[in-house]
Amino acid sequence: MCGLAPSRVLGSLDYGAGGWEHASVRMLATGKVEVLTGASAHGQGHETAFSQIVADRLGVPFEDVEVLHGDTQIAHKGLDTYGSRSLVVGGEALVRAADKVIEKAKPIAAHLLEANVDDVEFSAGTFSVRGTDQGKSIQDIALATFAAHNYPEGIEPNIDAESTYDPINFSFPHGTHLCAMEVDTETGRSTMRKYVCVDDVGNIINPLIVSGQVHGGLVQGIAQALWEEAVYDDSGTLVSGSFVDYLLPTSADTISFDIDHTTSPSTTNSLGTKGVGEAGTIASTPAVVNAIVDAVRDRGVNDIQMPCTPERVWRAINTSSPKGGATEAAAMPHFDESEAGQSSTEGAGA
Amino acid sequence: MIPAKFDYLAPTSVEDALSALSQHGDDAKIMAGGQSLLPVLRMRLNAPEVVIDLGRIDSLRGIREDGDALVIGALTTHSEVVTNDLVRRHALLLSAAAAEVADNQIRHRGTIGGACAHADPAGDMGSAALAMDAEFVIAGPGGTRSVPASEFFVDLFETAIGEDEILTELRVPKKTGWGAHYEKFVRVAHQWPIVAVAATVKGSGGSIDEARVALTNMGSTPLRAAATEAALSGASATEDGVRAAADRAADGTNPPSDLNGDGDYRKHLATVLTRRAVLKAASA
Repeated sequence: MCGLAPSRVLGSLDYGAGGWEHASVRMLATGKVEVLTGASAHGQGHETAFSQIVADRLGVPFEDVEVLHGDTQIAHKGLDTYGSRSLVVGGEALVRAADKVIEKAKPIAAHLLEANVDDVEFSAGTFSVRGTDQGKSIQDIALATFAAHNYPEGIEPNIDAESTYDPINFSFPHGTHLCAMEVDTETGRSTMRKYVCVDDVGNIINPLIVSGQVHGGLVQGIAQALWEEAVYDDSGTLVSGSFVDYLLPTSADTISFDIDHTTSPSTTNSLGTKGVGEAGTIASTPAVVNAIVDAVRDRGVNDIQMPCTPERVWRAINTSSPKGGATEAAAMPHFDESEAGQSSTEGAGA
Repeated sequence: MIPAKFDYLAPTSVEDALSALSQHGDDAKIMAGGQSLLPVLRMRLNAPEVVIDLGRIDSLRGIREDGDALVIGALTTHSEVVTNDLVRRHALLLSAAAAEVADNQIRHRGTIGGACAHADPAGDMGSAALAMDAEFVIAGPGGTRSVPASEFFVDLFETAIGEDEILTELRVPKKTGWGAHYEKFVRVAHQWPIVAVAATVKGSGGSIDEARVALTNMGSTPLRAAATEAALSGASATEDGVRAAADRAADGTNPPSDLNGDGDYRKHLATVLTRRAVLKAASA
């Protein structure tokens, strides 16, 4: 479940904030479009994906759209980026703000085209009079509105718009991840042999960014399973306090992933998108640990505490009884309801 | 982080370096490739008043033959040791170990002399030099002297180099035709070895005539696995033939316990890695 919403449900759950997101679309006299979003990016590529959405909706060139964020003096309102919500909630807010721009521009376009508003339609960036070849681009309307020399009585010369979008529901991305691990039973070292995943994140706005999100998420989740650990000594001092001891993988430590998608558009937003940010992190960690446990199950191992360091795996193998004594139920992986609420039960061998 | 302020000297001869060292004594640190010293300075684990950079002393670089020995200048980079034909022919183990040092950038900066003089027990080159019976040539105010590897590594980060001396070269007895392998056990590629084993083997007809085996990070210095070496003499170069000898690799060691493994796990690793290293060396 991604894009926590609606806000009144979150309130009923004592969640600390609402679930809406805010967006503004400013039509500059130059024909450029400034987009303000409260879903502030830190490297995920919102600038690109959000520009695609607005360019597509308004029918303007991609390079004419600029996304602004990250400073409350510029984008004053928003709930930010987390929980795989930016595109699902923030993207939809953009769509709605852009649609409002089109609605506000329409009477001005009709006025300039000397036509009835009901006879004006908008397509591919152009307002045109139905049944004629007369038309004006939305960028022309932006300039005419800024000049304000000729616009209808009774409205403001302004086609900028904003939207605060509160979703009707979560979105529901889903996927399946398969991982093959090889365990060196003499040293306990685990090596990844193959990783295949298929995620359904709904309609994809930008395939390269989605792949990047999945790859990054996979490595983060795999690192949690194999390497990363904040270790404290008995007096509470962090002893894994530098990257010499806190192990972050590099490309030398990972393999090429096989990633793919099915596409079932979400019905909770007009873009049909679902969240992707957490697809890799959520699935990869248990996939890796389960694969390691599965590899040494015949040695009587039923669980290994994360991260699965070589020493932990080796000790699990060497202090467990080979399968036969254990019941089949006890040997099955890995997620037992009765353990779900408990933290860190010791590995079978620890 | 930014290091504490220090003065920087860059002598162009060993004589000038020695005189700078005698002038500044305890306040000075010698820099070779800087791959260990600079992180130490940046983390402010040490704050020498003077850094004496040997990088402009060309006579400390290069690899040449001298009779039955290979002479490797202290400032020769790991990457030169990896690729040099003389090393590959006469001291394959040094090439194999140098290939496993850190990453490519570090191998192009770091030096064999700097790594040995730094004497980190987790450093890769110390055990390789020890297994090769290298002699360390050290220059001081009274001339040069030569120290065998078995006496060079004294303790954690401590060598036989005196405070007024500089390591100038390694003299390595040729082991032409010996197979070699450096088996390094890490969790991620850029990590210091949890344990590593340097092995070089002279074999004939599927059996091992002679072997030299040394261990990395199994104590405060690189260690020779003497019992293993003795037991390997005449062993067949097979899993079963090598196993009993390798099982003695950790005899008498007292390895550290840390986040990557307790001492008893390291002892176990040493036996497994020794078996693998010897078998790969025998087929190299």
